[in-house]
Amino acid sequence: MVNLTIDGKQITTAKTSTIYEAAKENGIYIPVLCYAKKLLPYGACRICLVEVEQMKGRLIPSCTTPVTEGMVVTTTSDEINKVRKTVLEFLLVNHVVDCPVCDKGGECDLQDLTYEYEVVTNRFQGEKFDLPTDEVNPLIERNMNRCVLCGKCVRVCDEVVGYGSYSFINRGFETKIATAFDRGLNCEFCGQCVSMCPVGAILPRPFKFKARPWQLKDVDTVCGYCGNGCTVTLGVKDNQVQTIRFNEDTGVNHGNLCVRGRFGYSYVNDATRLTKPLIRKGGELREASWDEALVTIAEKFKAAGKDLGIISGARLTNEELLLLKRISSALGTHHLDHSGGECYQGLTAGLNETMGISASTGTFPQVEKCNAILAIRSDFYETHPVFGMVINQAIRLNDAQLSVIADKRGKLSKLPNARTLMHKPGCEINMINALCQVIIAEGLAKTDDLQGLAELTKALADYTPETVAKMVGADAEAIKKTARELAGAKNAAIVVAYGLPYTAHSKEIAIAASNLALLTGIAGREGSGLYLCGEKANSQGAIDLQITPGPAGLGAQQMLNSAAEGRLPVLYLVGEDPVVTYPDQGLVKKALEKSFLVVQDLFLTDSAKYADVVLPAASFTEKDGTFTNAERRIQRLRAGIKSPGEAKSDFVVFQSLLNKLQKTAPAAPAAAFGELTGEVAGYAGIVYEQIGPQGEVWGGETLAPLKKVLIPVAGNEPLQAEYQLLVGSALYHSGSVSTRSKGPMSVCPEPYIELGRDDAVTLNVKTGDMIQLKAAGVTIQSKAKVDNRLPKGVIFAPYHFAGLGLNRIYTGQSVIAVEPSKL
Amino acid sequence: MSETAENLKVLICTGTGGLASGAASVVAAFEAEFEKKGVAAKIGSACDVNSTGCRGLCANDVLVDICKPGEEPVTYDFVTPDLVPQIVDEHVLGGNPVEKKVAGPYYHQFLEKQQRIIFSRCGTIDAESLDDFLAHRGFTGIQKAVTMSQDEVINEVKKSGLRGRGGGGFPTGLKWSFAKGSPGDTKYLICNADEGDPGAFMDRSVLEGDPYGLIEGLMIGAYAIGCKFAYVYVRAEYPLAIKRLQLAIDTCYEKGFLGKNCMGLGFDLDMRIKAGAGAFVCGEETALMASIEGQRGMSRPRPPFPAVRGLWGYPTNINNVETFANVAYIFYNGADWFSSIGTEGTKGTKIFALTGKVKHTGLVEVPAGTTMKEVIYDVCGGILNNRKFKAVQAGGPSGGCLPAEALDAEVDYDSLIKAGAMMGSGGLVVMDETTCMVDIARFFLNFTRVESCGKCIPCRIGLKIMLEILERITQGKGQEGDIEMLEDMAYDIKKSSLCGLGQTAPNPVLSTIRYFRNEYETHIKDKECPSHSCKELLHFRVIEDKCKKCGICPRVCPVDAIEWEKGKVAYINLDKCTRCTSCYDACRFMAID
Ligand SMILES: Cc1cc2nc3c(=O)[nH]c(=O)nc-3n(C[C@H](O)[C@H](O)[C@H](O)COP(=O)(O)O)c2cc1C
Ligand code: SF4
Ligand code: SF4
Ligand code: SF4
Ligand code: FES
Repeated sequence: MVNLTIDGKQITTAKTSTIYEAAKENGIYIPVLCYAKKLLPYGACRICLVEVEQMKGRLIPSCTTPVTEGMVVTTTSDEINKVRKTVLEFLLVNHVVDCPVCDKGGECDLQDLTYEYEVVTNRFQGEKFDLPTDEVNPLIERNMNRCVLCGKCVRVCDEVVGYGSYSFINRGFETKIATAFDRGLNCEFCGQCVSMCPVGAILPRPFKFKARPWQLKDVDTVCGYCGNGCTVTLGVKDNQVQTIRFNEDTGVNHGNLCVRGRFGYSYVNDATRLTKPLIRKGGELREASWDEALVTIAEKFKAAGKDLGIISGARLTNEELLLLKRISSALGTHHLDHSGGECYQGLTAGLNETMGISASTGTFPQVEKCNAILAIRSDFYETHPVFGMVINQAIRLNDAQLSVIADKRGKLSKLPNARTLMHKPGCEINMINALCQVIIAEGLAKTDDLQGLAELTKALADYTPETVAKMVGADAEAIKKTARELAGAKNAAIVVAYGLPYTAHSKEIAIAASNLALLTGIAGREGSGLYLCGEKANSQGAIDLQITPGPAGLGAQQMLNSAAEGRLPVLYLVGEDPVVTYPDQGLVKKALEKSFLVVQDLFLTDSAKYADVVLPAASFTEKDGTFTNAERRIQRLRAGIKSPGEAKSDFVVFQSLLNKLQKTAPAAPAAAFGELTGEVAGYAGIVYEQIGPQGEVWGGETLAPLKKVLIPVAGNEPLQAEYQLLVGSALYHSGSVSTRSKGPMSVCPEPYIELGRDDAVTLNVKTGDMIQLKAAGVTIQSKAKVDNRLPKGVIFAPYHFAGLGLNRIYTGQSVIAVEPSKL
Repeated sequence: MSETAENLKVLICTGTGGLASGAASVVAAFEAEFEKKGVAAKIGSACDVNSTGCRGLCANDVLVDICKPGEEPVTYDFVTPDLVPQIVDEHVLGGNPVEKKVAGPYYHQFLEKQQRIIFSRCGTIDAESLDDFLAHRGFTGIQKAVTMSQDEVINEVKKSGLRGRGGGGFPTGLKWSFAKGSPGDTKYLICNADEGDPGAFMDRSVLEGDPYGLIEGLMIGAYAIGCKFAYVYVRAEYPLAIKRLQLAIDTCYEKGFLGKNCMGLGFDLDMRIKAGAGAFVCGEETALMASIEGQRGMSRPRPPFPAVRGLWGYPTNINNVETFANVAYIFYNGADWFSSIGTEGTKGTKIFALTGKVKHTGLVEVPAGTTMKEVIYDVCGGILNNRKFKAVQAGGPSGGCLPAEALDAEVDYDSLIKAGAMMGSGGLVVMDETTCMVDIARFFLNFTRVESCGKCIPCRIGLKIMLEILERITQGKGQEGDIEMLEDMAYDIKKSSLCGLGQTAPNPVLSTIRYFRNEYETHIKDKECPSHSCKELLHFRVIEDKCKKCGICPRVCPVDAIEWEKGKVAYINLDKCTRCTSCYDACRFMAID
């Protein structure tokens, strides 16, 4: 700790603080323009200059200068104010000052500072900027005539996102921010630069002329897409979400967002949202009253009783899931599940068997401080982009070594320090086994209180790096290096994502990963962690609340099987669209056709088209309640808008259903949360009202394993096929909801089949050509996308798009043999 | 040295200046001539033709010394290949120097008040020869240093009083102690050879003339600080310097003087050249490090200082070329010897690059304490064409000008700052009565404004606005209050800029206002340029009593606007004149205003 004086006030602060941070902590205001909490010190704008008695003769930038013992700081004086004002006058000489039509007007740092320093006239004169604006891309509008060159966009894109779209070009007064070759922006469109720009130089195009900032009501809630659980700030006006902004000060994940969180909101305002219940009459879905719909459903459910199948999505709140569970017990059914293919089994079966827990052991902020990180599958960045940014931060701030076990390259493999351990598709387990083998063979394992070491050692005899490398086409040396790093690092993380397109070997991959986590001591060690991250916003909540088959229950896939065979008369789908997203579309359709189907959703989805009753539900922006993210962080959602028409939140629907089943239900999410803390291990003691902006991490920052059992798992033989299809997630999308959102759709509008350059040449295919994939007699067709991240023979297709019908050939395999041909 | 002492030696200046004047062909001519005439056999001793570094008087290149055993060397200037046979016949073989071609007395005067320590090997030894270097005390400094502890080495440098020659004048020993004191095993040493000041080429001449000496200085620094990797950041515009230094580094590696266990002295040092990015700001230490890291040359805030967080985040020590060159000599001769030279606050010598309206432009090395007057008049022969001295700009674009009344200022960090200029890296631009001081301020500001890295607002925008005001003034569009506005802005920019570039860029404006305020006022109030140098303010009149009736102006006028007859004062017909300034430029008597 360091003692210093600021404006006469005695202050004690951490020795890593800057003067600005020390002042801020103590409520002393210093104006800033180029400073950003989450970026490295920069010191360009000179607005934050202060006087330091020990550094007389010049003014000192408070945002970059570290505190030192005994420092005496003055934050305002006539001289300081004059210099700040001069700097503002300089800025305003060439700035266009078109505030009346600038979307930033009202929340612009330059406006605010100009006002604060009363820059009424300008002693200096010069020409106004007249640079072209970037109008090409659909999401981010760049108007460099308003740029103050604070460098935040350049810095955030490099330091946080790790993409590096922007750079400074030219010198002196001609300095400006440019994109590659000064062409239009073409990037991840995460909008981080939009969030960081202090002026109206980078703006969200979809928000243009939608509202003046002061007309917006800010509502902090949790992003409804993936398991990162980023804080989003809804900008609400006229009962519509006009834009999504970020909360850098108190938000989870530092206010960082990806394209989905930042720009993927338009679906909530969409005119095609369901607004009334529908009941199938005379073969057609017709509008009906809520009462009629609920009565019909209640009767059907009661009649089905223990033969009712319930499949829920993982974007319902914890409170809603609690009520759903109550419904299943009221009816006596054990057929309850929440995700196709039971992709969550890595947690519920895998980690449970090895460590007795079913959640990630650490938290994201700990990952930022890691020295070594292993990502299993390069798609991790695609499914969890903001966690990807956390990894990037660990690399930038902490020089962490990242290794990626990958069947294709991706964003992670491009980060600095990244080592990509390429292997043939479907052979992740072989690779993880090889890492474990090295650690044991080289005596690097932390074997205290581990069970099953002897068996594992024996079973791993076939997994020397050399054997595995030969079998799966990997690099043995790279495997060894990674193993040694993971074993030797003070803090290390192992990360793997699961989700609908990653159902194969869920449990086995998790067991292999936990073997590694146990051998390296990563699991349960403070600062380190094993992360199994669910695809959806409340995937972890669904596990915590056990939205999984009961003792005599069927899982989602089995329910569909059973229904298809006519053995499950009634199916209740809540917030899932299995026709599009579940493996084996043929089976799904048959099941939905055969059963009496109730669908509760925002849209008339492909699955809802088979329904007998459709209930209009509410989006995350219309709800109160909690989500639990992939690091076990329980966070509060806050409704920003009212649902359209008669649509109701799942909570309200479940309440009514319980009532119809003559059961009581908690009156509101707060009460429901109170009840669930009594039922869910780990949630005990958490008080809804006290959950702050950073949420509450159940089980603490580091979740200790309850046991430490090593379990051998066998790897897989590489598939022998000339062309092999991988199914997965695309960065711009999450599930199928994002395909109803203008933002993501404007940059990734349609399905595609991705080929590597070599294969494209062999097949004579260019980007944009139509190609066809044939597997087990079924064909799918799409436009081709050619790039250089796929090894020869490997083909990739994202699963989000209904149009592709990918699940006509994807039935849950880890990799599919296909025959591609140009159309 | 003993075996070569008997030989006849021809020393030929092959610095960039020498080469530009044809030194390479002079070298070839001597070699051919010796061969052809069998000179070695005739005089009974071997003949060495040595390519040396620069000896300072670049305006008179190619300089050649003929050193006959047992005789005082004789220096020729302006030597061309045609002259070589004559020199060989008459002087080398005949024993009579070619008097007409021998450098005049000014050459000795030029050397007299200098004290050439850093330059003692430049111009006397073969710059590319390790043997020559070793024969001239080469690497004895580092051999001495390794017998001392790291702290003792640092203390020796502290005791010598050496201050950084890169401009700031920071005590070198103290700087080293910071870098040594920073925790960690990985540390970097950087030699700043970016030399971006217009007109300065001191560092280039050391690199070209004594590259091994620089390497030795770096070795001592690396040993003292405890670092194993040194970069020399040389501006890419110095191909010869890069070539010679690279050759020297390669040779050192070959001979085991660099790399693992240097010279068997028990420490490791790797050395690499990084060619600069061609921007003035890259000489600023934080921008320089960014540039080595492969990023845009943009300054970074200090603190943290490089000694704490430098290159790639590791403790780093940066010094200038001349600073390192001094270090070697401190270890040859001892700190006491070094500190006996110079003034209280400035020890040793300083090299200056003189340009502008001075008789002998070039490089001079003088002991601290020499006055500016001595440098300009005694060493460099005074003002060209016997015009009146007006001012000297010291310290390049970051420095300031000194008028005649301030010429007693000594070569000393503090004395120059007091006088309103600064030592800077050692550029001196001499100006005579024909130079307009507003225009000079404009010239330097135009340089800095273009070279600003663009990061911080005061420098990026402020300098441009100052420049626009200066331009206005030189165009006769100055306004009441402009001078005060310039002073006020200059003050704010100096106080608020991020790095040394912005913090010093307004200096030329402030110092010209301080000493030549009347010139500013005349421009603004009377719309006149007292030096008749601002073209927009010229009247295109012939001043009768200045006109020498030489008749050159009518010949250069492209539109025949000048009437002149032999023996008559010229007359410019303003109706025809297009104000192209050809006549003004051509008139040698400043008779057109
Ligand atoms: C704009 C700017 C340009 C500079 N250029 C040089 C240069 O070309 N060479 C140099 O040695 N120092 C230059 N410096 C000074 C360096 O930042 C640094 O102070 C110096 O290299 C330290 O060496 P010294 O301690 O030996 O003087 C420059 C500084 C500024 C602000
Ligand atoms: S960026 Fe700020 S100051 Fe500039 S036009 Fe927009 S609102 Fe006005
Ligand atoms: S565009 Fe915005 S964020 Fe980027 S440098 Fe300009 S003002 Fe800063
Ligand atoms: S003072 Fe000039 S050169 Fe230095 S950081 Fe600021 S803009 Fe860049
Ligand atoms: S906020 Fe400190 S320099 Fe910009």
